[in-house]
Amino acid sequence: MADLSVDLGFQVLRSPLMTASGTFGQAEEFRPVLDLDLLGAIVFKGIYLEARPGNPPPRLHETAAGLLNSVGLAGPGADAMAARIRKLAELTTTPLVVNVCGGDDPEFVSVAEVFEALPEAAMLELNISCPNVHLGGRCAAQDARHTGRLVKLVRRRVSKPLLVKLSPNVPDIAPIARAAESAGADALTVANTFLGLAVDLEKRRPVFRRFYAGLSGPAIKPLALRLVYQAVQSVKIPVIGCGGISSGRDLLEFIMVGAAAVQIGTVNLVEPGAAARILNEAAVLMDRLGIDNLNGLRGTLQN
Amino acid sequence: MMDLRAIVVKILPLGGDCWLARINCPQISSAFLPGQFVMVKAWPGNDPLLRRPLGILKAEADDIFLYFQVIGRGTALLAALQPGREILLLGPLGRPFPRPTAGTTLLIAGGRGIVPLLAAARAWAESLPLVFLYGARRSIDLHLAAELEALPLSGLQFYSEDGGRGRAGLVSCGLEEVLAAQTPQTTFSCGPEAMLNALAGILSGQPGRHYFSLEALMGCGFGACYGCAAPVPGGYYARVCVDGPVFALEELQWPI
Repeated sequence: MADLSVDLGFQVLRSPLMTASGTFGQAEEFRPVLDLDLLGAIVFKGIYLEARPGNPPPRLHETAAGLLNSVGLAGPGADAMAARIRKLAELTTTPLVVNVCGGDDPEFVSVAEVFEALPEAAMLELNISCPNVHLGGRCAAQDARHTGRLVKLVRRRVSKPLLVKLSPNVPDIAPIARAAESAGADALTVANTFLGLAVDLEKRRPVFRRFYAGLSGPAIKPLALRLVYQAVQSVKIPVIGCGGISSGRDLLEFIMVGAAAVQIGTVNLVEPGAAARILNEAAVLMDRLGIDNLNGLRGTLQN
Repeated sequence: MMDLRAIVVKILPLGGDCWLARINCPQISSAFLPGQFVMVKAWPGNDPLLRRPLGILKAEADDIFLYFQVIGRGTALLAALQPGREILLLGPLGRPFPRPTAGTTLLIAGGRGIVPLLAAARAWAESLPLVFLYGARRSIDLHLAAELEALPLSGLQFYSEDGGRGRAGLVSCGLEEVLAAQTPQTTFSCGPEAMLNALAGILSGQPGRHYFSLEALMGCGFGACYGCAAPVPGGYYARVCVDGPVFALEELQWPI
């Protein structure tokens, strides 16, 4: 049986599958159909200091093999999230990752400090790329200088492993990836959702109140695969692939272009036991390819 | 919550884009409570991507029944399935109706909102006094009238806008008539948003416990995505799938 463990350098993961932020509820919801210990890490939904209601409905719109969402980081605030994480840590040995948000740079730092102090939080993922908070989908990860400045601010206060989740809505991800790396990121998550627009033809209006929304699901997989490849070429720190992964084959394709590990998101919603299936499929494929661990596959894409 | 393979026994057209599906799934038929639903995937591959949330109408032996309207591609694919085909069901899901304890219980259904209320009426009609109001836009769309007539209800009244069967008009008018004559201890309502808003307006001053079952577009159906939001007092949102779909009157910010 193939070995699917991953060594990120700062953390060993039991499997290459992490959950993508905002797609895994409080994780408990999945326990009836999934052994949480199969996962490499569980990433929580993005969190601010204070509770936030999120966006008014509609929040979802289905597209061809994809899903547009404008949920908008609804959440209970940092202290309530810390309590949830403590509770989940009693139920699983899988490392728990806090997705850190902020309305401005100081809030990112304050939220990060809360979870730096929480022993049950193994890693932090800095969410500088949510498209559903600022109007027009703007975010820090669209600007290399802002990315560098923000990552540096948080890095100064955080000794835990720091992942930085980048935006796909940029002309060139390389300078942003390098800015995060040189500001002290331990790894990059590539990437968040793609900005999309849904139109209600009869009403002559956008479907979403905030106009744009974030596209995820199988529809974006080739776009994410390209971004991961480009990010891997431009930095030395691990890149965690994220975007439309829904099979063992998808997982291995991301590893082959150089991803250290991956996150699965939308597939969790339509198939809550997907992680177990994807790991089985990957193991079978690796046996067929004659590879006994992921290092034998990582970054081996031939030109 | 279970993620199960189930077999289509038969799917019948009832008219007006509405269908009745009989699905063999012993694990869910024996486990579900009135008000709960399943997430259905009735096609291979990932387009359509999302499963469809459908309320459970009733169970007979090892089978469950789904009464649904064809709205888009997902429900059209389900309606087209032949007997013997396999589908995926995630369920049973959602917070069910609480069982009423005493006094008269009033059930108010509009259109496909009949689904959870027929399940409730079947579960309780033998042991509790139930009054049922069932309305549809057209009288020919009262597809499940015979199912209700077969139950030992204390009262049953049909409503349609054309008046072809029962009273002409909306079920909300029926509610006002009932309230003029008696004070139900508990009410359960399910139907279009405009109907629920009207009923909530009438019931908000009434004594008793009042519950509403909401319909929503859902991403997952089990609380993971926060996609199905219903407004609650204080400017926040509840998840229809796990905080509901059944809500007490005071749990929601009206109009929804």
